[in-house]
Amino acid sequence: MAMRELVTGGAACAVPGSSSSSNPFGALANALVGSSSKTQERLKEIPTATPTTSGSNVYTGIGEPFTALPGSEFDHQLQPSGQGSEFLRGFRSADQNGFADAWDEIHNPPVHRFPLEHNQLQPELDGPPQRVLSSFLHSFVNCSHGGLPFRPSPLPGLGLSEGDKKCIRDRSSIMARHFFADKSENFVNAQVNALLSSLDIDNDIRDAGPLPGRFRELEEYWNDSQVMKPGPHAADGWISEFAQHRVGHGNPNAWAHSFEQQHGANGWASEFEHEQSQITTIDQMRGANIPSLAAMEQTRMLAHTLAQNNDPKFQNSKFLQFVSKMSRGEITIEDNQVKPSAYSAPGDWASEYQRQYNGGQSWADQFVHDEASKKSTELSHGPHGWVNEFSTEQEQHGSVDDQWVSEFSKLNVNDWVDEFGRKVVEGASGEDSADNWANAYDEYLNEQTTVKQRSETSRGVYVFSDLNPYVGHPNPLKKGQELFRKGLLSEAVLALEAEVLKNPDNAEGWRLLGIAHAENDDDQQAIASMMRAQEVDPTNLEVLLALGVSHTNELEQAAALRYLYSWLRYHPKYSTIAPPELADSLYFADVARFFNDAAIMSPEDADVHIVLGVLYNLSREYDKAIESFKTALKLKPRDYSLWNKLGATQANSVQSADAISAYQQALDLKPNYVRAWANMGISYANQGMYEESIRYYVRALAMNPKADNAWQYLRISLSCASRNDMMDACDTRNLDVLQKEFPL
Amino acid sequence: MASSSELKSAALMDQMKLHLASDAGKDLVKKIGLVYQINIAPKKISFNEEIYVVDLKKGEVTKGPYEGGKPDATFSFTDQDFFKVATGKMNPQIAFMRGAMKVKGSLSAAQKFTPDIFPKPSKM
Repeated sequence: MAMRELVTGGAACAVPGSSSSSNPFGALANALVGSSSKTQERLKEIPTATPTTSGSNVYTGIGEPFTALPGSEFDHQLQPSGQGSEFLRGFRSADQNGFADAWDEIHNPPVHRFPLEHNQLQPELDGPPQRVLSSFLHSFVNCSHGGLPFRPSPLPGLGLSEGDKKCIRDRSSIMARHFFADKSENFVNAQVNALLSSLDIDNDIRDAGPLPGRFRELEEYWNDSQVMKPGPHAADGWISEFAQHRVGHGNPNAWAHSFEQQHGANGWASEFEHEQSQITTIDQMRGANIPSLAAMEQTRMLAHTLAQNNDPKFQNSKFLQFVSKMSRGEITIEDNQVKPSAYSAPGDWASEYQRQYNGGQSWADQFVHDEASKKSTELSHGPHGWVNEFSTEQEQHGSVDDQWVSEFSKLNVNDWVDEFGRKVVEGASGEDSADNWANAYDEYLNEQTTVKQRSETSRGVYVFSDLNPYVGHPNPLKKGQELFRKGLLSEAVLALEAEVLKNPDNAEGWRLLGIAHAENDDDQQAIASMMRAQEVDPTNLEVLLALGVSHTNELEQAAALRYLYSWLRYHPKYSTIAPPELADSLYFADVARFFNDAAIMSPEDADVHIVLGVLYNLSREYDKAIESFKTALKLKPRDYSLWNKLGATQANSVQSADAISAYQQALDLKPNYVRAWANMGISYANQGMYEESIRYYVRALAMNPKADNAWQYLRISLSCASRNDMMDACDTRNLDVLQKEFPL
Repeated sequence: MASSSELKSAALMDQMKLHLASDAGKDLVKKIGLVYQINIAPKKISFNEEIYVVDLKKGEVTKGPYEGGKPDATFSFTDQDFFKVATGKMNPQIAFMRGAMKVKGSLSAAQKFTPDIFPKPSKM
């Protein structure tokens, strides 16, 4: 709900002097986008903007450290000499309004209106690192274009990786040579060195020098912004944004450090690559992305505001990160849903926050303060505020049931909300409801990332594990098969991942990976792997069956039906039974009929019965399914996965006692069958035997700590068994404690 | 017993129906004893809803609006969200706050609507 406010126009983010004060995002976006179209032209033309009067201050300030920079050949040229003054002139002209003004802003806070159009060519030494870097490089390019010597400004510690540095080094050398083809070799080298030294490449420690006065701050601001990935547009709006958001300029160091701690700046290289395409696509983006740009900018502004608060708790809060992320365009809000955009970074974000979140007490207050003018909420006033806010919001959406609202207010609100709040907090400390809300919101964010991850895999995007020890192994497939046979499912997964990383077209690798995931009780990853296997080998029957099974588990009926039908079509013996034209509009009844025909054709074929069993699960004709599986089992009694299928079917038709014995058979055949352990837990839980179920869940989780389903179920069982003392252990996924407490 | 519905939630409802006939289900009836109406929409809440009544007084699940009076609480979900709440992937409080779950009727009754009352699907 809060996000909506943000997106649709939070009060805190007004852009003074802009055309439409009611929609700061729109204004900013227009300004941004408006200027970005000029970007292209700007980048190509020679800088001719007039030097500003205030520029002289900056200029002097920046001039000083040049002498302090060791090793830069350019330093010498800065001494009063023909080239030096030419350089200085060049610098000044390159340094246009925005930079100078912003710098002054920092030190003499007046509220300025920035002509956004003018700040293209100066390198933004503040703002997100990629942006800074790109603008820095642009200015290099432009200076080069204009035949002006490039001045090295100390831009320390961008956190460029070695690869990045090498890339920059190479490219800039080439570029410089190209630009200064008419000048001497030395000059070219000097330019390149200037650029490189500014970027702290060649491993020289440029930033260790004592930088005078204003420059230190500049450096720090730079460090601050290291990690924020910019949105797809090369932003100039930073300057004006900065003007708006000097809200309580706290200690920049704290902010810097906290950000530094939390993140590493990577992705610069890709940004650099994108740089070129960005420029060309800016115009296309304009049309398509204005609302998202607007949203992004507003959230960025908000993030900036929020980040001014130097309380580390606040900074670490997931909400801030969420907002930052939104501002970077990594996630966007559409239809009141948070959606990851194409630029989202992989899921480490969530785990980082998990580690560092400390509770957002001060954040909550700050947030309330910021939002106070927009909402009439009294978040900090306890339950009533939240309630009122919620009911007003409901009213806005026109879906309020009056009776409900009045009943709601009649009820003893305190009790309800307290309980609500308590439940929401889940063991964390928060007493006041704002804190609870913060916690709940963080949970929501966590959920979002898991949802995102889940939805990624359901679209067939496989999520690889980090830190895979098998990468580089000479024959990971063999290793994987070995580990699988031994029953070490998680290890097998890693080895197989190494295999498919090496050979993405190895159908067998993907297939086995899929099976391993399914047995490890991770249908999402199983589906993703199997889909890759199918891409490589569309006719592999086992793959098709596995896909059918996984989709059935996820209750995705249409998809499951499709796969099972394909199984029939691609089967050498039965393909004649299944007419291909039916593939588009599959009716369950028809497919079942075909399979029954196949069964009649060859009653000794266990596979047909297995597929039939799965099919009947889909239509919830459990008795028939059980019959099919039993028939198959007579033919293949040592197939552990078949026992599990039988068990699951029985469990789903609430024949839990039978289910448990079937699972036991499966486990006898394969003791590390995580899925069977989890299913056992489910069967006990469904019978109300929560204590027992806990033990089985814990056992399953001990074998595969990544089985998210099992964690959820464990949680439910813990609360049903009134073991809230263990709830913390469950939430923190503390297996040791849980195993000790609930042995089998 | 095959339901013709395409919704995932239909499968859950069927399972619930079976579950209520079992001992555990009977305990549930004793413990809760309320009538819930659940409106499930395929994509967007309130559009093309399928209505189920989980009657934990009598211990049955029926399709269609509740005829025997007023349900103690009425919930509205989309298919995906109901699936998530019922399998414990999403907390009902979170769902409520996000607007993924709408509630009408008695709030104390609504509070009792937790994931643990639903049986979990087992995986083949």
